[in-house]
Amino acid sequence: MTLNDVKPGQACCIARVNLGGATGQRLMDMGFTPGAKVKVVRNAPLVDPVDLTLRGYHVSIRHQEAGGVEVEEL
Amino acid sequence: MKEIIVAVAGQPNSGKSTIFNMLTGARQHVANYPGVTVEKRTGRYSYKGDAVTLVDLPGTYSLTSYSPEERIARDFLLHEKPAVVLDIVDAANLERNLYLTFQLDEMGIPLVVALNMMDVAEGRGLKIDTYKLSELLRTVVVPTVGKKGRGGGELKEAILNTYQGGRFQTGYGEAYKGCSACPGMSREKGSFRVDYGEELEPILSSLENRLSEAPKISARYPARWLAVKLMENDSEARRLVQKAEES
Repeated sequence: MTLNDVKPGQACCIARVNLGGATGQRLMDMGFTPGAKVKVVRNAPLVDPVDLTLRGYHVSIRHQEAGGVEVEEL
Repeated sequence: MKEIIVAVAGQPNSGKSTIFNMLTGARQHVANYPGVTVEKRTGRYSYKGDAVTLVDLPGTYSLTSYSPEERIARDFLLHEKPAVVLDIVDAANLERNLYLTFQLDEMGIPLVVALNMMDVAEGRGLKIDTYKLSELLRTVVVPTVGKKGRGGGELKEAILNTYQGGRFQTGYGEAYKGCSACPGMSREKGSFRVDYGEELEPILSSLENRLSEAPKISARYPARWLAVKLMENDSEARRLVQKAEES
C-alpha cells in the first residue's frame, strides 16, 4: 500500500520510500522517513497535489511522488 | 578591527532574509514563499568594534549535492570556511528544521541557532524550552521574531561570543547570565553528536578514523561529516576525497 492509496482524513505510517535520486532525497530531508506518521488532509481541486501533515507541518506533494512512498495502516 | 564572516543558513521560508535584514539594516527582497534567495548575498554590520560580514545562503532542507541551492550553500560552508554559522530555525516547525541543524553541526563550524518565528510557535500553543535545547545542541539558542525585529541584539552578542570563544568551551554561557532571552550554551565540554545507531556507528567510526589519518583530507574537511556523506554515497563527497588525495 502506498501513500497514494490513503484517503483524505486517514492517517498512516511510513514504511519505506521507494524513490531514488533527488526526489527521494528531498522527501527524506523533509521528514518522510520510516516510522513517521502522515495524515492525508485533502486533494487539490484538480486532484494534484495532495495536502499532507507530518511532523507537525503541512506539505503538498504530487500523487506520483505519493505513489513512491510505501505506508502501513495505523 | 577584525572581519568576521558569518554564514546565514536555514531551511526554506525559515526567515533567513528577514533576520539578515534585521541585522544588517538592508532591505533585501523578502516574500512569503520559499526559494526567494537563490544566490548568496552579503551584508555588513559592526558590533563592539568588529566588522561582521553576513552571507545569506539559499534555503535548503539539507546539504546533499542534489540541487543547485544545496550545492551553493554547502560549497560556501566547506570552502570559504566562515567563522560562524547562524542557523535560522522555524520554531513553529522545529522537528523538520533541526535536521539541517544537525547537518550544519556535523560540518564542525561554530554554530549559533536563531529560533525564529517564536510568536507563530507560541500562537500555536507550542512551548519551547530554549535553555534545554541549547544544552542538548551544545550551542547558543536565541529566540527571535524577525518580522518584529526581536532578538537582533542578542543574536549579535551570541555571534561575537561564539566567534571569540570558539566551540564548546567551559564558561561559555557566562556572557548570558542575567539575560533571560539568551540562555547561553552548555558549560560542559564536548560537542553534540548524532548517534546513528549500533548498525552504522562502527562503520562510520572506522571510516572517520581512516579519513582523520589522511592528512590531506583531514586538513580540509571535517572527518565525521565526510564519513557520513560517503556512507550516503554522495558523489560530490567522493570527488572531494579523490581530489584531496591527488593534490
